[in-house]
Amino acid sequence: MGRAIYKVKGGKMIKIQLALENKKIKDLRITGDFFLHPEETIEDIEKALRGCSLSKEELVRIIKETLTSRRAVLLGASPEDLARCIIMAGEKSD
Amino acid sequence: MIEKWRLLDTGLDDAFYNMALDEAISIARSKGIAPNTIRFYRWRPPAVSIGYFQSMKEEVDIEACDKLGIDYVRRRTGGGAVYHDTEGELTYSIIVDDAHRLISNDIQETYRTLCSGLVLGLRQLNVPAEFRPINDIVAYGKKISGNAQTRRMNTVLQHGTILRKVNPALMFRVLKVPSEKVRDKLIKSVEERVTSINDVLKRDVSFRELKEALIKGFENSFKIRLVLGGLTDFEKNLAYRLKREKYITKEWNFKR
Repeated sequence: MGRAIYKVKGGKMIKIQLALENKKIKDLRITGDFFLHPEETIEDIEKALRGCSLSKEELVRIIKETLTSRRAVLLGASPEDLARCIIMAGEKSD
Repeated sequence: MIEKWRLLDTGLDDAFYNMALDEAISIARSKGIAPNTIRFYRWRPPAVSIGYFQSMKEEVDIEACDKLGIDYVRRRTGGGAVYHDTEGELTYSIIVDDAHRLISNDIQETYRTLCSGLVLGLRQLNVPAEFRPINDIVAYGKKISGNAQTRRMNTVLQHGTILRKVNPALMFRVLKVPSEKVRDKLIKSVEERVTSINDVLKRDVSFRELKEALIKGFENSFKIRLVLGGLTDFEKNLAYRLKREKYITKEWNFKR
Protein backbone atom coordinates (compact mmCIF):
# COMPACT_ATOMS: atom_id res chain seq x y z
CA MET A 1 0.00 0.00 0.00
CA GLY A 2 1.44 3.40 -0.97
CA ARG A 3 0.33 6.82 0.18
CA ALA A 4 1.23 10.30 -0.97
CA ILE A 5 0.10 13.83 -0.30
CA TYR A 6 0.60 16.62 -2.80
CA LYS A 7 -0.29 20.28 -2.33
CA VAL A 8 -1.01 21.94 -5.66
CA LYS A 9 0.68 25.33 -5.91
CA GLY A 10 -2.07 27.95 -5.74
CA GLY A 11 -4.55 25.09 -5.47
CA LYS A 12 -5.73 22.31 -3.24
CA MET A 13 -4.50 19.22 -1.43
CA ILE A 14 -4.53 15.77 -3.07
CA LYS A 15 -4.13 12.55 -1.08
CA ILE A 16 -3.63 9.20 -2.79
CA GLN A 17 -3.74 5.74 -1.34
CA LEU A 18 -3.02 2.91 -3.75
CA ALA A 19 -2.17 -0.75 -4.10
CA LEU A 20 -0.14 -2.12 -7.00
CA GLU A 21 -0.12 -5.56 -8.62
CA ASN A 22 2.46 -6.41 -11.29
CA LYS A 23 3.34 -2.70 -11.50
CA LYS A 24 -0.24 -1.81 -12.35
CA ILE A 25 -2.82 -0.06 -10.19
CA LYS A 26 -4.94 -2.64 -8.41
CA ASP A 27 -6.90 -0.22 -6.29
CA LEU A 28 -6.72 3.47 -5.43
CA ARG A 29 -8.52 6.13 -3.49
CA ILE A 30 -8.27 9.82 -4.30
CA THR A 31 -9.16 12.18 -1.46
CA GLY A 32 -8.55 15.86 -0.85
CA ASP A 33 -10.08 19.31 -0.61
CA PHE A 34 -10.34 20.01 -4.36
CA PHE A 35 -13.61 20.46 -6.28
CA LEU A 36 -14.99 18.19 -8.98
CA HIS A 37 -18.39 18.65 -10.63
CA PRO A 38 -20.32 16.39 -10.74
CA GLU A 39 -18.86 14.94 -7.55
CA GLU A 40 -19.46 11.22 -8.28
CA THR A 41 -17.02 11.49 -11.20
CA ILE A 42 -14.32 10.75 -8.62
CA GLU A 43 -15.55 7.15 -8.41
CA ASP A 44 -15.46 6.88 -12.21
CA ILE A 45 -11.87 8.18 -12.27
CA GLU A 46 -10.82 5.70 -9.59
CA LYS A 47 -12.46 2.83 -11.51
CA ALA A 48 -10.96 3.91 -14.84
CA LEU A 49 -7.45 4.01 -13.37
CA ARG A 50 -7.54 0.39 -12.16
CA GLY A 51 -5.19 -1.68 -14.29
CA CYS A 52 -3.32 1.41 -15.43
CA SER A 53 0.48 1.53 -15.22
CA LEU A 54 2.32 4.34 -13.45
CA SER A 55 3.02 6.28 -16.63
CA LYS A 56 2.23 9.96 -16.37
CA GLU A 57 0.98 10.15 -19.98
CA GLU A 58 -1.35 7.18 -19.52
CA LEU A 59 -2.71 8.43 -16.18
CA VAL A 60 -3.35 11.93 -17.52
CA ARG A 61 -5.00 10.57 -20.67
CA ILE A 62 -7.40 8.33 -18.73
CA ILE A 63 -8.29 11.07 -16.23
CA LYS A 64 -8.94 13.52 -19.07
CA GLU A 65 -11.04 10.97 -20.97
CA THR A 66 -13.17 10.30 -17.88
CA LEU A 67 -13.66 14.03 -17.26
CA THR A 68 -14.68 14.59 -20.88
CA SER A 69 -17.10 11.65 -20.99
CA ARG A 70 -18.83 12.86 -17.80
CA ARG A 71 -18.59 16.52 -18.89
CA ALA A 72 -16.94 17.02 -15.53
CA VAL A 73 -14.94 19.99 -14.27
CA LEU A 74 -11.99 19.69 -11.90
CA LEU A 75 -11.09 22.78 -9.87
CA GLY A 76 -8.09 23.38 -7.61
CA ALA A 77 -6.07 20.54 -9.15
CA SER A 78 -5.34 19.39 -12.72
CA PRO A 79 -5.22 15.87 -14.22
CA GLU A 80 -1.42 16.30 -14.24
CA ASP A 81 -1.45 17.04 -10.48
CA LEU A 82 -3.52 13.92 -9.79
CA ALA A 83 -1.19 11.83 -11.97
CA ARG A 84 1.87 13.22 -10.21
CA CYS A 85 0.50 12.33 -6.77
CA ILE A 86 -0.53 8.84 -7.97
CA ILE A 87 3.05 8.22 -9.18
CA MET A 88 4.43 9.50 -5.85
CA ALA A 89 2.18 7.02 -4.02
CA GLY A 90 3.17 4.24 -6.42
CA GLU A 91 6.86 4.83 -5.74
CA LYS A 92 6.22 4.42 -2.02
CA SER A 93 4.28 1.21 -2.58
CA ASP A 94 6.09 -2.11 -2.20
CA MET B 1 -39.74 45.39 -10.96
CA ILE B 2 -36.90 44.19 -8.80
CA GLU B 3 -36.40 40.44 -8.69
CA LYS B 4 -37.47 38.83 -5.41
CA TRP B 5 -35.72 35.95 -3.65
CA ARG B 6 -36.74 34.14 -0.49
CA LEU B 7 -34.73 34.76 2.68
CA LEU B 8 -34.64 32.01 5.29
CA ASP B 9 -33.18 32.24 8.76
CA THR B 10 -33.37 28.71 10.13
CA GLY B 11 -31.35 29.44 13.27
CA LEU B 12 -29.64 26.69 15.24
CA ASP B 13 -29.77 23.03 14.11
CA ASP B 14 -27.59 19.96 14.16
CA ALA B 15 -25.11 19.20 11.37
CA PHE B 16 -27.16 16.42 9.76
CA TYR B 17 -30.33 18.49 9.48
CA ASN B 18 -28.36 21.53 8.30
CA MET B 19 -26.80 19.60 5.41
CA ALA B 20 -30.07 17.79 4.67
CA LEU B 21 -31.96 21.07 4.48
CA ASP B 22 -29.51 22.58 1.97
CA GLU B 23 -30.11 19.53 -0.23
CA ALA B 24 -33.89 19.58 0.31
CA ILE B 25 -34.13 23.24 -0.72
CA SER B 26 -31.96 22.50 -3.78
CA ILE B 27 -34.28 19.65 -4.79
CA ALA B 28 -37.36 21.82 -4.26
CA ARG B 29 -35.75 24.55 -6.38
CA SER B 30 -34.93 22.07 -9.15
CA LYS B 31 -38.57 20.94 -9.22
CA GLY B 32 -39.68 24.55 -9.51
CA ILE B 33 -41.55 24.41 -6.20
CA ALA B 34 -39.22 26.75 -4.33
CA PRO B 35 -37.92 30.18 -5.34
CA ASN B 36 -34.28 31.24 -5.47
CA THR B 37 -33.26 31.32 -1.83
CA ILE B 38 -30.64 32.63 0.58
CA ARG B 39 -30.54 30.88 3.92
CA PHE B 40 -28.72 31.75 7.16
CA TYR B 41 -28.04 29.06 9.73
CA ARG B 42 -25.85 28.03 12.65
CA TRP B 43 -24.73 24.76 14.21
CA ARG B 44 -25.79 23.38 17.60
CA PRO B 45 -24.11 21.23 18.74
CA PRO B 46 -20.92 22.52 17.12
CA ALA B 47 -19.77 20.31 14.25
CA VAL B 48 -17.02 19.51 11.80
CA SER B 49 -17.99 19.25 8.15
CA ILE B 50 -15.70 17.66 5.60
CA GLY B 51 -15.63 18.08 1.83
CA TYR B 52 -17.23 15.44 -0.39
CA PHE B 53 -13.82 14.04 -1.43
CA GLN B 54 -12.23 13.93 2.01
CA SER B 55 -11.76 10.95 4.28
CA MET B 56 -13.55 11.31 7.62
CA LYS B 57 -11.01 9.14 9.42
CA GLU B 58 -8.05 11.03 8.00
CA GLU B 59 -9.38 14.54 8.59
CA VAL B 60 -11.35 14.33 11.82
CA ASP B 61 -10.37 13.24 15.32
CA ILE B 62 -13.53 11.19 15.90
CA GLU B 63 -12.65 10.31 19.47
CA ALA B 64 -12.10 13.96 20.43
CA CYS B 65 -15.38 14.95 18.74
CA ASP B 66 -17.32 12.25 20.57
CA LYS B 67 -15.80 13.32 23.87
CA LEU B 68 -16.55 17.01 23.26
CA GLY B 69 -20.06 16.41 21.90
CA ILE B 70 -19.15 17.72 18.47
CA ASP B 71 -20.94 16.26 15.42
CA TYR B 72 -19.19 15.35 12.18
CA VAL B 73 -20.77 15.24 8.75
CA ARG B 74 -19.80 14.91 5.10
CA ARG B 75 -20.97 17.72 2.83
CA ARG B 76 -22.28 17.24 -0.69
CA THR B 77 -19.81 19.95 -1.79
CA GLY B 78 -16.07 19.62 -2.24
CA GLY B 79 -13.49 21.65 -0.35
CA GLY B 80 -11.90 21.23 3.04
CA ALA B 81 -12.74 20.33 6.61
CA VAL B 82 -14.37 23.12 8.63
CA TYR B 83 -15.05 23.43 12.34
CA HIS B 84 -18.45 25.12 12.83
CA ASP B 85 -18.59 26.74 16.25
CA THR B 86 -22.05 27.62 17.55
CA GLU B 87 -21.03 31.15 18.54
CA GLY B 88 -18.00 31.56 16.29
CA GLU B 89 -19.53 31.49 12.85
CA LEU B 90 -22.50 32.17 10.63
CA THR B 91 -23.25 29.86 7.71
CA TYR B 92 -25.22 30.84 4.60
CA SER B 93 -26.42 29.02 1.55
CA ILE B 94 -27.47 30.31 -1.84
CA ILE B 95 -29.80 28.11 -3.90
CA VAL B 96 -30.44 29.37 -7.42
CA ASP B 97 -31.34 27.88 -10.79
CA ASP B 98 -28.37 27.56 -13.11
CA ALA B 99 -30.02 29.52 -15.94
CA HIS B 100 -30.00 32.63 -13.72
CA ARG B 101 -28.00 35.65 -14.93
CA LEU B 102 -25.68 35.33 -11.89
CA ILE B 103 -24.60 31.81 -12.86
CA SER B 104 -21.86 31.26 -15.42
CA ASN B 105 -20.69 27.97 -16.94
CA ASP B 106 -17.33 28.94 -15.52
CA ILE B 107 -17.36 27.72 -11.91
CA GLN B 108 -14.50 29.97 -10.83
CA GLU B 109 -16.35 32.97 -12.22
CA THR B 110 -19.53 31.95 -10.39
CA TYR B 111 -17.66 31.75 -7.07
CA ARG B 112 -16.50 35.30 -7.63
CA THR B 113 -20.01 36.53 -8.49
CA LEU B 114 -21.78 34.81 -5.59
CA CYS B 115 -19.04 35.75 -3.13
CA SER B 116 -19.36 39.40 -4.20
CA GLY B 117 -22.59 39.55 -2.17
CA LEU B 118 -20.66 38.53 0.95
CA VAL B 119 -17.76 40.85 0.12
CA LEU B 120 -20.10 43.81 -0.20
CA GLY B 121 -21.92 42.84 3.01
CA LEU B 122 -18.67 42.61 4.95
CA ARG B 123 -17.56 45.98 3.59
CA GLN B 124 -20.84 47.43 4.93
CA LEU B 125 -19.46 46.45 8.32
CA ASN B 126 -16.14 48.12 7.50
CA VAL B 127 -14.36 44.81 7.08
CA PRO B 128 -12.02 45.30 4.07
CA ALA B 129 -13.08 42.04 2.46
CA GLU B 130 -11.79 40.76 -0.87
CA PHE B 131 -12.44 37.63 -2.90
CA ARG B 132 -9.42 35.33 -3.19
CA PRO B 133 -9.66 32.55 -5.76
CA ILE B 134 -10.52 29.74 -5.69
CA ASN B 135 -13.19 29.99 -3.03
CA ASP B 136 -12.12 32.23 -0.15
CA ILE B 137 -12.83 35.72 1.13
CA VAL B 138 -9.98 37.45 2.94
CA ALA B 139 -9.45 40.59 5.01
CA TYR B 140 -5.90 41.97 5.35
CA GLY B 141 -4.80 38.83 3.47
CA LYS B 142 -6.26 36.51 6.11
CA LYS B 143 -9.15 34.14 5.43
CA ILE B 144 -12.46 35.22 6.93
CA SER B 145 -14.86 33.11 4.84
CA GLY B 146 -14.70 29.78 3.00
CA ASN B 147 -17.22 28.75 0.36
CA ALA B 148 -18.17 25.63 -1.60
CA GLN B 149 -20.42 25.00 -4.56
CA THR B 150 -22.19 22.10 -6.19
CA ARG B 151 -24.35 21.93 -9.28
CA ARG B 152 -26.95 19.31 -9.94
CA MET B 153 -30.40 19.08 -11.45
CA ASN B 154 -29.94 22.53 -13.03
CA THR B 155 -29.55 24.05 -9.58
CA VAL B 156 -26.52 25.67 -7.98
CA LEU B 157 -25.97 25.40 -4.24
CA GLN B 158 -23.23 27.50 -2.74
CA HIS B 159 -22.76 27.41 1.00
CA GLY B 160 -20.08 28.89 3.16
CA THR B 161 -19.11 30.25 6.52
CA ILE B 162 -18.28 33.69 7.83
CA LEU B 163 -16.04 33.67 10.88
CA ARG B 164 -17.26 35.82 13.75
CA LYS B 165 -14.61 34.71 16.20
CA VAL B 166 -11.94 32.10 15.77
CA ASN B 167 -10.60 29.46 18.13
CA PRO B 168 -7.62 27.69 16.52
CA ALA B 169 -6.83 25.61 19.60
CA LEU B 170 -10.28 23.99 19.55
CA MET B 171 -10.10 23.66 15.77
CA PHE B 172 -7.05 21.45 16.08
CA ARG B 173 -8.53 19.38 18.85
CA VAL B 174 -11.18 18.16 16.44
CA LEU B 175 -9.19 18.09 13.19
CA LYS B 176 -6.49 15.47 12.76
CA VAL B 177 -2.92 16.71 12.88
CA PRO B 178 -0.01 14.79 11.35
CA SER B 179 1.68 14.57 14.77
CA GLU B 180 1.47 16.10 18.23
CA LYS B 181 4.75 17.85 17.55
CA VAL B 182 3.25 20.01 14.82
CA ARG B 183 -0.01 20.82 16.62
CA ASP B 184 1.28 24.07 18.16
CA LYS B 185 2.84 25.05 14.87
CA LEU B 186 -0.46 24.51 13.07
CA ILE B 187 -2.35 26.51 15.68
CA LYS B 188 0.13 29.33 15.22
CA SER B 189 -0.15 29.16 11.45
CA VAL B 190 -3.95 29.39 11.63
CA GLU B 191 -3.59 32.45 13.84
CA GLU B 192 -1.48 33.96 11.09
CA ARG B 193 -3.68 32.92 8.17
CA VAL B 194 -7.22 33.18 9.52
CA THR B 195 -9.11 36.11 10.97
CA SER B 196 -12.66 36.92 12.06
CA ILE B 197 -15.12 39.79 12.09
CA ASN B 198 -14.57 40.45 15.80
CA ASP B 199 -10.78 40.40 15.35
CA VAL B 200 -10.88 42.83 12.44
CA LEU B 201 -13.35 45.27 14.01
CA LYS B 202 -12.02 44.83 17.56
CA ARG B 203 -15.55 44.62 18.98
CA ASP B 204 -18.24 42.03 19.48
CA VAL B 205 -20.43 41.97 16.36
CA SER B 206 -23.81 40.32 16.91
CA PHE B 207 -25.24 37.73 14.54
CA ARG B 208 -28.12 40.12 13.93
CA GLU B 209 -25.82 42.93 12.82
CA LEU B 210 -23.80 40.54 10.66
CA LYS B 211 -26.92 39.14 8.97
CA GLU B 212 -28.35 42.61 8.32
CA ALA B 213 -25.11 43.67 6.64
CA LEU B 214 -24.97 40.51 4.52
CA ILE B 215 -28.61 40.92 3.44
CA LYS B 216 -27.77 44.40 2.14
CA GLY B 217 -24.66 43.02 0.46
CA PHE B 218 -26.58 40.28 -1.34
CA GLU B 219 -29.41 42.63 -2.35
CA ASN B 220 -27.12 45.30 -3.77
CA SER B 221 -24.65 42.96 -5.39
CA PHE B 222 -27.22 40.59 -6.93
CA LYS B 223 -29.76 43.38 -7.72
CA ILE B 224 -32.49 41.47 -5.88
CA ARG B 225 -34.85 42.03 -2.97
CA LEU B 226 -34.76 39.43 -0.18
CA VAL B 227 -38.17 38.67 1.31
CA LEU B 228 -38.22 36.84 4.63
CA GLY B 229 -40.10 33.56 4.20
CA GLY B 230 -40.44 30.07 5.61
CA LEU B 231 -39.84 26.49 4.56
CA THR B 232 -42.54 24.59 2.72
CA ASP B 233 -43.85 21.30 4.11
CA PHE B 234 -42.19 19.57 1.16
CA GLU B 235 -38.79 20.99 2.14
CA LYS B 236 -39.21 20.19 5.85
CA ASN B 237 -40.31 16.61 5.24
CA LEU B 238 -37.59 15.99 2.67
CA ALA B 239 -34.97 17.45 5.00
CA TYR B 240 -35.99 15.11 7.83
CA ARG B 241 -35.88 12.19 5.42
CA LEU B 242 -32.46 13.14 4.01
CA LYS B 243 -31.12 13.58 7.52
CA ARG B 244 -32.33 10.13 8.55
CA GLU B 245 -31.50 8.27 5.34
CA LYS B 246 -28.30 10.05 4.29
CA TYR B 247 -26.52 12.63 6.39
CA ILE B 248 -26.65 10.84 9.74
CA THR B 249 -25.61 7.46 8.30
CA LYS B 250 -22.17 5.88 8.57
CA GLU B 251 -22.37 4.85 4.90
CA TRP B 252 -22.44 8.50 3.85
CA ASN B 253 -20.13 10.01 6.45
CA PHE B 254 -17.43 7.34 6.17
CA LYS B 255 -17.79 6.59 2.49
CA ARG B 256 -14.30 7.88 1.68
